[in-house]
Amino acid sequence: MELFVNLVINGLATGMLIFLLAAGLTLIFGLMDVLNFAHGGLFVWGAYAGIFTYMFTESFLIGIIGAIVTGALLGLITEKLIITPVYGNHIQQILITLGLMLVLQEMIKVVFGPNGVAVKTPSYLSGSWEIGDVIIIKYRLFIIVVGFVIFGIFQYMLKRTKIGLIVRAGVQDKEMAQALGIHIKRVFLYVFMVGAALAALSGMLMAPYSGVIYAEMGMEYAILGFIVVVIGGMGSFSGSLLAAILVGLAGSFMAYYVPVLSLAVNMILMAIVLIFRPQGLFAMRKERST
Amino acid sequence: MKNKLSLKYVGFFLMLAILVLLPFVNDSRTLIILLTQIFIFGILAMSYDILLGYTGIVSFGHAMFFGIGAYTTAVMLKQTDTTLSIFLLSIVVGMLLAGFISFLVGLLTLRLKSHFFAMLTLAFSGLFLVVAEKWRSVTYGNDGFTFRAPELFRDRMTFYFFVLACLVVIFIALYRFVNSPTGRILIAVRENEQRTKSLGYNTLHYKVIASVVAGTVASLAGSLYAVSLRFVNTSVMTMDITLDALLMTIIGGVGTLVGPLLGAGVIEYAQHALSGLARDYPIFERWIIFFGILYILAVIFFPKGIIGSLRMLYWKWRLKIKERKTTGALSQEKERFE
Repeated sequence: MELFVNLVINGLATGMLIFLLAAGLTLIFGLMDVLNFAHGGLFVWGAYAGIFTYMFTESFLIGIIGAIVTGALLGLITEKLIITPVYGNHIQQILITLGLMLVLQEMIKVVFGPNGVAVKTPSYLSGSWEIGDVIIIKYRLFIIVVGFVIFGIFQYMLKRTKIGLIVRAGVQDKEMAQALGIHIKRVFLYVFMVGAALAALSGMLMAPYSGVIYAEMGMEYAILGFIVVVIGGMGSFSGSLLAAILVGLAGSFMAYYVPVLSLAVNMILMAIVLIFRPQGLFAMRKERST
Repeated sequence: MKNKLSLKYVGFFLMLAILVLLPFVNDSRTLIILLTQIFIFGILAMSYDILLGYTGIVSFGHAMFFGIGAYTTAVMLKQTDTTLSIFLLSIVVGMLLAGFISFLVGLLTLRLKSHFFAMLTLAFSGLFLVVAEKWRSVTYGNDGFTFRAPELFRDRMTFYFFVLACLVVIFIALYRFVNSPTGRILIAVRENEQRTKSLGYNTLHYKVIASVVAGTVASLAGSLYAVSLRFVNTSVMTMDITLDALLMTIIGGVGTLVGPLLGAGVIEYAQHALSGLARDYPIFERWIIFFGILYILAVIFFPKGIIGSLRMLYWKWRLKIKERKTTGALSQEKERFE
């Protein structure tokens, strides 16, 4: 029982972090039809910028804000300089965002040094609670709570506010939204910035969880993000939450019971989904055959 | 037209003659090793061009075939004997293995749209990297292992000529391939897959052929690479190899075959030169940044690469001359009428 609860909490915490990463990816893809291979770069920039702010100011909260601001700014620059010239051309988008990923990853090494940085959990979040036999690590619970809160905020924004209405309309049919007088390019920019900020936040929260940050972690987690987006369905926000939890739980249970398979299980999961249901498990819209 | 064709052949043989004679003129060890490296990556980049340039699909899993070749050769030379015949056999085994795997992976993945295909190939090559890391009894994981090269190739010069010969054979073979009817259909797939389909071609079938050809050639490059280093570790399976091939192809010029070769030369040389500079200026240790920026600029401004842009200039120039000629002829005609 104790083991089961621990594995579930572990899986949920990882799942939440991947969800934050994947939420941005899926919104950007759903709205702009751009698959951002540089998302991992934004993730790792968030982690580094946030952690360095945190170490400098000694306030975890300011660190988180620093990460979010960095992510949004990088998102702004990326959208303006990198994505805008290649709208509509899938192959060029894939190539160019991958190039950006490369640059972002190497820039980390230039700015913050090539070695990994050890990260300490802030004192009020470290330690654990013991409830009966079950030990719950505080920080993991914190991640899960943050994940659900952000999911709630976004779900509210998407379903209940005018901004959400515009975004959803854009995801469903951007030509139509444009014809109704919505400046879709501007919506693109904002969504991209929000997606980048979410990726940065995810990186920042990941840092104390894994205990160490390094430049290559971006690509590793970005792959998990892609897997989640594929499983959840491109453009589906709640789908990516469910898929992220699925991937997180599968990872944590496999790591315990069949450690050999733990790294492969997600890719096998994705391969199966792509082969049998290419639009994803929880896809909102039908893929148009273009 | 005939004139142009012979010019191409002259250029080809001239280049070949220079490369054959070079080691006799200047036998500096660094130069020979650098050129060998360029040839090996040239083969890899050309194989990538079959996918990216001729069929129009972006694969992020190319390192997996390179790695299969490298590991097959390394393991066979380590476990059995270090004779030439074992080496040649290992190349064949590697190519067959890579061909088989690219066939399977292709069948599974190539029916997907570009985004999904790119991601799935990324995942598959990640899977192979994990296998290479975990299967320690054979691959020794990330530490890798050294092995002895066949007697004949202990001499760098002999190996240089062997790799050069491979490069020439592969170049001619791929040149024939892309100009064959199958190659033409691949180009049609790149230009407009829907239309090719509606003309009655099973495009999946042709895309699988392209992926098998690219996979087997990449495996050959991997085998040669392993022998050139006499060492292999998991780095041959990593994303970096795919990125190198991608950069070379993009910068040299997609869909030209010569372009990737040139790109391999440019990138390998620049890498060599910049890592030399890094001793004095630490910023050059991160030379990937420069390549990354160059690559982004190339995608935005020169999507056709060096060779492609030159070729376009050439055609524009030809068109201009032709126009001038026709307008000249027209005005003469006019004068005669008046």
